[in-house]
Amino acid sequence: MLTYSQFAFVAALITSVLATIAYFWAMSAGHRALKQQAPQRQRVRVGDASDDLLDDDLADIAVPDAPEAPRYSSMSAATLARFATRLTWLAIAFLTVCLGLRMAVTGNGPFVSQYEFATSMAWGILVSYAYFEWKYRARTLALFVMPLTVIALAYAGTQPTQVDPLVPALQNSLLLTLHIIVAIFAYGAFAVSFAAAALDLWTPQKWRHLIPKPEVLDRLGYRAVVIGFPLDTMVLVLGAIWAEIAWGTYWSWDPKETASLVTWLIYGGYLHARVARGWTGKRASWLLVLGFASVVLTFVGNAFFGGLHSYS
Amino acid sequence: MSTSVRNRQEARSRVATRVTAHVPGHVDSVDGLDDLAHVEHGVDVLDGLHQPDKGHPHHRNQHPLKRVWLFLISMRTGLWIILLLGLLTLAGTLLIQATPEARADEQAYAQWLAGTPSERYGGWVGILDRLGLFHVYSTWYFQGLFVVLSMSILACSINRAPKLWRVATHPRTSMREVFFTHAPLRATIDLPGDVDSAAQQVRDALRGKHFRVLDGTAKTGADVYGDRFRWGPFGTVVAHLSIIVIMLGFVVSATTGFKDTDFIAPVGVDVPVGHNTGLTAKALSFTDTYYENGQPKDYVSDLVLTKDGRQVARQEVRVNTPLIYEGVWFHQAFFGIGVDVKVSENGKELFREMVPLKWQSNDGQQSIGQFEIPEKGISVYVIQAASGQVLKELPAGTAQFEVHKDGVENPLGWPVIDQGDSIDVDGLTYTFERNRPYTGLTIKQDKGSWIVWVGSALLIIGSYLVFFLPHRRIWARVRSNGDGTSRVMIGAPLKRDPAFEPVFKNIVSSIKTSDS
Ligand code: HEM
Repeated sequence: MLTYSQFAFVAALITSVLATIAYFWAMSAGHRALKQQAPQRQRVRVGDASDDLLDDDLADIAVPDAPEAPRYSSMSAATLARFATRLTWLAIAFLTVCLGLRMAVTGNGPFVSQYEFATSMAWGILVSYAYFEWKYRARTLALFVMPLTVIALAYAGTQPTQVDPLVPALQNSLLLTLHIIVAIFAYGAFAVSFAAAALDLWTPQKWRHLIPKPEVLDRLGYRAVVIGFPLDTMVLVLGAIWAEIAWGTYWSWDPKETASLVTWLIYGGYLHARVARGWTGKRASWLLVLGFASVVLTFVGNAFFGGLHSYS
Repeated sequence: MSTSVRNRQEARSRVATRVTAHVPGHVDSVDGLDDLAHVEHGVDVLDGLHQPDKGHPHHRNQHPLKRVWLFLISMRTGLWIILLLGLLTLAGTLLIQATPEARADEQAYAQWLAGTPSERYGGWVGILDRLGLFHVYSTWYFQGLFVVLSMSILACSINRAPKLWRVATHPRTSMREVFFTHAPLRATIDLPGDVDSAAQQVRDALRGKHFRVLDGTAKTGADVYGDRFRWGPFGTVVAHLSIIVIMLGFVVSATTGFKDTDFIAPVGVDVPVGHNTGLTAKALSFTDTYYENGQPKDYVSDLVLTKDGRQVARQEVRVNTPLIYEGVWFHQAFFGIGVDVKVSENGKELFREMVPLKWQSNDGQQSIGQFEIPEKGISVYVIQAASGQVLKELPAGTAQFEVHKDGVENPLGWPVIDQGDSIDVDGLTYTFERNRPYTGLTIKQDKGSWIVWVGSALLIIGSYLVFFLPHRRIWARVRSNGDGTSRVMIGAPLKRDPAFEPVFKNIVSSIKTSDS
């Protein structure tokens, strides 16, 4: 079964790479299509400017301003984008199979080794993204989300995949499972907010017309944090409960704990920055990037810091 | 939420009237409150977020206390505190932190500093140390920030709660016309009936979407106000106060109760717990089991507690299953082997205890324990081959006693003794009675943790209230057109809540379609 799990992993990695290519291709096809239709239509926008979250489907790019204008033909951005979406779903399916089989073999959640945890992270990122794509049609987020997924999977691929039995401290299946599952969703949401911020900060001028307006990205980032932040709070609390039970201290300033606290504080800061005037836009985006850097640090930090979490 | 282009066009054609979600020239409509304040000057109830401009000359002349207050309730203050805490915590994560033992006294600390920190940070050690960055979490400025944070949070909550209360219980029910032409969400509908029936249609539509409906105070025509989730905004108050509750829990934890991380219970021996608990702990057994690959599988102590000679509790204590008795927690923490030692002088017993072999020699070959007989100025190292090590000079079943005496440079002797045997060194008789396993427990009584858990629950509940029950408000203004028809103007803020927009559109279209 473990072999099949490995096959599914490889399939997920390949599918993710293909999806990444498809998204970028769709983007560039959209770009070309728009160039052909220029100069009348610069940025194609359907409806009111602040229809915002509804308004950033790559497929929409192919939909011209006026309903009666002709669609352009050939391999359209819309087709490619739909194809990319299917690939994303497929990657999720493969990862689900991979993790599911592994869980069936090990009998515990997939978060004991770095390999398992990185794979779960990739799964969380993809699922969060798929939700955002479905809900807000924000396909351009994929331009950052998919490479992140590929990196996470590639990293997982370099880690040993053997199944080790659980050391005593990890044998608290309920708390541990909840702790990690919630973390996977929280970090997935944060990855999406990172993608929104990264699009805002690092999209070259040339491509600007293809991505959602800064305000829309701003709100996408915010929506993702609104989902991620309370989850992250739960991660901290569940971790504290577990620490209380396993070690007798709910908080011991252990490096991994504090790294999660840093993450939580940055996103807390971000929320307040959003409420306070003058801190939307670029500065808020930087906070999102910083927050996600902290997520990554928390994750890879394991290897560097030692501390109570180091065996995990 | 309607998501596709087609849906949107459909929605738009169903509602023949103008439904727009855009305030021209006002891109940041994230915060509906501010938008409204912008539109309707002097809407103080709604203007809960209005921040006094500290740089304003008017404020510089404020009474100092007032200025402290303004500082504390400023969002900017809150933001900076949070980010600063993040930065310092990060520093504490990245730089190695001194353990409490290392900070126990100056000498130990100097020794610690000269070790790894000096290796790692070289010439920076001095500066980093002076800044307290090797014990960030106990520095005055880190803890001071928490104090300022609590004060700020308290001030913010005191400042905001009454406003939220007013908005929830006595909302403004009428808006001036300018609001309806500028609100982030707005629509205008002409209905065939008179004002009363049109207003009723609005009320029905709102109630149909589970909105609470209040009537405004229009002199001509009718004003209708509807809202939903009016208690949601109190989530911020709950979330903020919960932080104070959590910090309170930390303080209670730190100042009351006790924590003993180094409690050693030799198997089969009664050990008083101390700390005024009146408890005695005894491990009946300790078992460590391993997987085939050598990884630990389980550590179990069969632990018995007695009080006043009576057994009060017994449990198998594992890493994730502490024994809890009357608020005292017994955690499995570590384990090891000890040596039962007897020391006597002319047949008179001076010392009889298990000496835990807590340390390992640097090469990992020997396990070492230590005990003292203060009245004789004697200190003894007890040494055995570490488990799995085969040492020629220290075979299994033997222990070496290295006897030191105060003021004497070299050891008085270092005999190797067989189990059960005795040897004399400098007039004292040392007996290696037997080996005995011990289990190491962490024993603690934490009176603050439940406060932390209550605070945590409040924090989670509070943030879900804020984010997922956003206060949704709609105002309608119904006026007669003079020809038997009525004009309904509807407006609403879009308070960082994109899901409100389709709801709004829905309400508008149900007003529209209910006129048949
Ligand atoms: C670690 C401490 C804090 C936490 C966990 C926290 C949590 C939150 C949360 C979850 C929100 C909702 C954000 C949103 O709606 O986007 C919020 C809003 C807010 N916070 Fe904090 N906060 C903290 C510290 C502070 C401090 C120190 C202040 C005051 C200076 C403050 C003032 C505010 C204000 C005024 C709002 C907007 C309230 C509203 O929209 O009704 N917060 N906070």
